[in-house]
Amino acid sequence: MPQAGSLCVWRIQNCLTFPAFRSGGAGAKVASDCAGAGVGGGGGAVSTVTRAQPWQLCRAGSAGAEALASGGAANTERPERPGPLQDETLGVASVPSQWRGVQGIRGETKSCQTASTATAEAPAQTRKHVDAEVQTEAPEPVSLQPVPQCDGPRLVAFLRRVEAMVTRELNKNWQSHAFDGFEVNWSEQQQTVTCLHTLGYPPAQGQGLHVTGVSWNTTGSVVACAYGRLDDGDWSTLKSFVCAWNLDRRGLNPQQPSAVVEVPSAVMCLAFHPTQPSHVAGGLYNGEVLVWDVSHPEDPLLWRTGLTDDAHTDPVYQVVWLPGPQHGHRFQVLSVAADGKVLLWLAVGAGRLQLSAGFALAVQQLPRSTKLKKPPRGETEVGATAVAFSSFDPSLFVLGTEGGFPLKCSLAAEEPALTRMPSSVPLRAPAQFTFSPHGGPVYSVSCSPFHRNLFLSAGTDGHVHLYSMLQAQPLTSLQLSHKYLFAVRWSPVRPLVFAAASGEGDVQLFDLQKSSQKPTVSIKQTQDESPVYCLEFNRQQTQLLAAGDAKGVVKVWQLSSEFTEQGPRETEDLDQLAAEVAT
Amino acid sequence: MVVNAEGIPIRTTLDNSTTVQYAGLLHQLTMKAKSTVRDIDPQNDLTFLRIRSKKHEIMVAPDKEYLLIAIQNPCE
Repeated sequence: MPQAGSLCVWRIQNCLTFPAFRSGGAGAKVASDCAGAGVGGGGGAVSTVTRAQPWQLCRAGSAGAEALASGGAANTERPERPGPLQDETLGVASVPSQWRGVQGIRGETKSCQTASTATAEAPAQTRKHVDAEVQTEAPEPVSLQPVPQCDGPRLVAFLRRVEAMVTRELNKNWQSHAFDGFEVNWSEQQQTVTCLHTLGYPPAQGQGLHVTGVSWNTTGSVVACAYGRLDDGDWSTLKSFVCAWNLDRRGLNPQQPSAVVEVPSAVMCLAFHPTQPSHVAGGLYNGEVLVWDVSHPEDPLLWRTGLTDDAHTDPVYQVVWLPGPQHGHRFQVLSVAADGKVLLWLAVGAGRLQLSAGFALAVQQLPRSTKLKKPPRGETEVGATAVAFSSFDPSLFVLGTEGGFPLKCSLAAEEPALTRMPSSVPLRAPAQFTFSPHGGPVYSVSCSPFHRNLFLSAGTDGHVHLYSMLQAQPLTSLQLSHKYLFAVRWSPVRPLVFAAASGEGDVQLFDLQKSSQKPTVSIKQTQDESPVYCLEFNRQQTQLLAAGDAKGVVKVWQLSSEFTEQGPRETEDLDQLAAEVAT
Repeated sequence: MVVNAEGIPIRTTLDNSTTVQYAGLLHQLTMKAKSTVRDIDPQNDLTFLRIRSKKHEIMVAPDKEYLLIAIQNPCE
């Protein structure tokens, strides 16, 4: 029965007429009724509409709803199977251990053997030979290229062009005063003379030995000195020394020489070899001449003359090295002694010095160029005390004698000497010219390295004489000291300078250009006026001068620059001096 | 002495070795002096070269083909 109050119209009419719009109230009512009925019917299988309802439409609607509802429920009812993240157990992979298992040695032995070498013997012999000589050719002298003839006219034209200009300049120079007094100093000037080294050997000084000779070696770096006594009038068995100092070595100890040679007798003079830096010759008081090698301190003696008939019988005052007779590399030693003999020694094997030539001075054979005092009866020998060789003529030498007169001598003299002394080599008389004497024995002579005719001699009268070879009278005579003069040497660089060692303990340097009367520099070597016995210039390092004195001290002086550099016109001045020969 | 353009002496009054030494050295020095003068002023050229030393004076007269060298001891 339809409820009261609803607008729903119960129609039993045509269910197919399906009004699209119904009144909402009535439709809702119907729908809710149907839904209630449908829901009540759900929860099971597709249910058929079991209710016979008046409206089929409602039943269709509810049937759809029921189907829908049951479809969802039906989906949830499927069968079970495993998902992707599940644990599984797989099989184990393993390697069996081989430790301590027998590895098994795998090796092979092989051997090898070189094939045997085949040898065969066969003789060989040169059948023919040829001689050939080999000779180095002397270098061709530098020669001027020959001029082709076609150059003649062009050369003449050139000379004509320039001749006027050149002669004009030449004439201008003669009269020019532009450069008067203009001098350029290229190196540092040293103003004063200073003492660089004071060398001594204490054991020798303790024995009171004097320095009797100094010498520089060929390289200019080693100075050697000889110890002895100059005032002994007797034979002496005094042991003495030859000491050498190497000045270029670092750590030079002035009291400790780099080489010391012990000598059984007093050494009177010393000379280094001109080319061998370590060979030094010395003359002894007993007349022997020895040559040492200072680079071998344990066995320095190289050669000796021995005390034979040939050797000197008096103290040897000077030794000099000379080029050997064959002009080779051999050198010979010339020794000069108070017995009047001048001997030339050549080194032969086995450490002996053999006499190769000799000269003897006898009074009767002296040239009578000057008047000499008559010698005491019975004495025929003239003792020689000093020797100097000319640098221009190698066979010319000057001897200083005990009689005070220098002698001009020559190595090439032929005349045999009148002497009673035995000798293996015939002795010759060397003297060619006698110069006017000093007042006492001549202790030192020195030939000028710049002029062939000039030489100096110094003696015990305290005078230095400048001689020219051409005349017997000295050119000038200078009094340097009131005591003896022991040594005089020309400077190797300045033609007008010489140095003299005096008995008053000073070394005097003379510059003939500045003043010919008094010394330019006077160096005081010893404090108590004990004499200076020897001095030598260093030819390599020209500013050094070595002087040895009676105290056993060798002082090396460094000279000021004025003594080491040549001035502009010194050679000409020297020539002028030499030309003052009295005619 | 007279030296040609290559530095070879042609005529001389000195000895051979001195001549050759002077010729070689002075030829080089003259070339250097000439190039110095030209570098300073390209319109200029070397006419005469004098070298004065302690002992003497050397005079060089240069030319295109030859060089005349004279050595003099000046009197002071």
